[in-house]
Amino acid sequence: MYKLLTHQWKEKIRSSFWQKNIILNIVLGILGLYLILNFIAVSFFADKILLDVFKDCDVIESFTRLLFYYLLFDLIARFFFQQLPTISIQPYLTLPIKKSTLIHYPIIKSVFSFFNLLAILLILPFFIKNIYLTQSFQFSLLWIVTVLSLIAGNNFLNFSLKKYFSRQALISLLFLSFVGLLIYLDIAKIISISEYFSAAIFYLVNTTTFIFVPALFAVISYYWAYTILKNNAYIEDSQKLTIKKSNGFSFLNNYGEIGQLIGVELKMILRNKRPRSLLYISGLFVLYGFMFYKNENLDNYIILSLSGLLLPAMFSTNYGQFLFSWESSFFDSYLTNKISHFNYIKSKHIFFSISSSIGFLLVLPYALISSKIAFINAAFLLYNIGISSIIMMFFCTFNTSYIDLGKSQFMNYQGTGITQFLVILPIIGFPILIYYLHIILGILPFYFYTIAVTGLIGIALNKYFLELIVSRFNYRKYKMAVGFRQK
Amino acid sequence: MIELINLQKVYGTQVALSIGKLEIAQNDFIGLVGNNGAGKTTMLSLILDLIKPTKGLVKSKSLNVSESDEWKNYTGSFLNEGFLIPFLSPIEFFEFIGSLHGKNSADIKDFLEENEQFFKQDAFSGKYIRELSAGNKNKIGILASFLSKPEILILDEPFSNLDPSSQSWLKSKLKALSNEGVTILISSHDLKHVTEVCNRILLLEDGHIVKDTNTSNETLIELEQYFDI
Repeated sequence: MYKLLTHQWKEKIRSSFWQKNIILNIVLGILGLYLILNFIAVSFFADKILLDVFKDCDVIESFTRLLFYYLLFDLIARFFFQQLPTISIQPYLTLPIKKSTLIHYPIIKSVFSFFNLLAILLILPFFIKNIYLTQSFQFSLLWIVTVLSLIAGNNFLNFSLKKYFSRQALISLLFLSFVGLLIYLDIAKIISISEYFSAAIFYLVNTTTFIFVPALFAVISYYWAYTILKNNAYIEDSQKLTIKKSNGFSFLNNYGEIGQLIGVELKMILRNKRPRSLLYISGLFVLYGFMFYKNENLDNYIILSLSGLLLPAMFSTNYGQFLFSWESSFFDSYLTNKISHFNYIKSKHIFFSISSSIGFLLVLPYALISSKIAFINAAFLLYNIGISSIIMMFFCTFNTSYIDLGKSQFMNYQGTGITQFLVILPIIGFPILIYYLHIILGILPFYFYTIAVTGLIGIALNKYFLELIVSRFNYRKYKMAVGFRQK
Repeated sequence: MIELINLQKVYGTQVALSIGKLEIAQNDFIGLVGNNGAGKTTMLSLILDLIKPTKGLVKSKSLNVSESDEWKNYTGSFLNEGFLIPFLSPIEFFEFIGSLHGKNSADIKDFLEENEQFFKQDAFSGKYIRELSAGNKNKIGILASFLSKPEILILDEPFSNLDPSSQSWLKSKLKALSNEGVTILISSHDLKHVTEVCNRILLLEDGHIVKDTNTSNETLIELEQYFDI
């Protein structure tokens, strides 16, 4: 078992991703450290925060009550984002290792996940400061064991939930609505579930008779996961035969080579986990509008332009920054087949324009808040199509890392390179530069017109820009292809 | 048809391929043999403009392959899985490749019926290419390379992972194409197969061509002796 875990560790540190880009690693490392410190700080000062919000409450009781929400969100987040390590046992199946070891292994490996680290960071500092140092040893020990058992139970339960529910969107939706209902009942004080929850925890900890119940939850979840994996530990099961819907996009055939290329791109997005989840998540980001478009912001040019620039283009930017890398697993087929590189690049631009336009329509309802939003976003739509897309494509010719389309999008930095950090500078920088130029010249009211006109000029020069990118692409294609072949 | 002129590919200090001059005439049927690391795939990749030569150039019909895309019109190729689009079904893949050469779905249907002994499409309906076995992926790639009725055909180890019937089908298919005038370049580890179908054998060792000969009755024995340790 220990050896297996070290293999896993080696897989992580020897992954070509780490060796490729030192600067990126440092940036990610700093970012990670910053987040960790944040979580610890939140937990450490949780007592102050709780007293501030709830006034004169029992800190431990309030914290325990909030744990109810935490556990629910934890379960949902795990259900949607946690990647379960099941496939990696395949190379070991034929080696002389006991099968039960192999099945325990992915379950135990799942303990080393982001979600568990998060839970520990959020709970442990609070526990030490407010429980361990103030309460009896017995109380502290039982409290923390109970809480950690529940977290562990969540962790193991996720195996079963994913197995039974994740393939059916409807059930996932029902599950979400059920959790939503629980939360609603609690907040609306119809049934105060979180209070019952914390009462139950205190009952367990104080009477100690039923203290084994949370631990039992963890053990049963573990055992359930074990049985499920045991029944699935055959290679043939991992290649499930599912009947494929044929979403052929056959109408695209009428648009020649470019139509064909866009058709393949659409299929790529819909049939592979990572781009598909990116699509869904980008859809959710539209809700950010409620944060930006508040009354006090409606005269703030910077906020209005940033939201006009980014909100409708959430998908096209997120997806676009990995352009070409998405095709890394079949890039050679594009290079050797009879595909004109101009049409190839043009298909990318058309795809970008269409997805930005769809994004524009999705964000359009915010115009109900103020009709200004519609005009500003229209100006930025032109700008995105004419200028941003070109900048993006140009920078993406620097992309040289392979992307595994089947991996989850969550916490996945595969394919991330220096490009992704560089590209955002001109995309956000240019409009801001234009903004300050208008302030200096004292013609601020014309700002959004300038943006629209700049976009239109970009669109007029589109063919010229695309040719520029094609020659850039032809120059870079060998380097890109070499990188893409390194999985 | 194809010319390799002073062609060299160097990785660091390692010379992967170094060929002074090689001409491939129209209707040659070349078998490329050599141990792992001898430079077979490097040579095929250079001809297909997939990697950049350190020195020298490849000409196809007198045009430099890295400067002109003309060769893509008449060259069919399959080197490895990177030539397949994993999330398409086999039919969709054939239709996509076919569309690039102006073929519609009816043409593809005829094409698949013609080659039904090699690729039984019913067995794969409802599956994406990524879910198929190595042998079946290989078959799809090979068939797709035939699709455009190419004048030049380049295949890297086409016989690997194929079942015996498919191997013999492929041999007769390649012979038939050769008889129609197609220029063919294949690499293989199976000396029997190449000496059986090819009319010219190129033997690579450490990136150099050490033998370039027309196939005769003795070729198989000579090659076996060469590779015998």
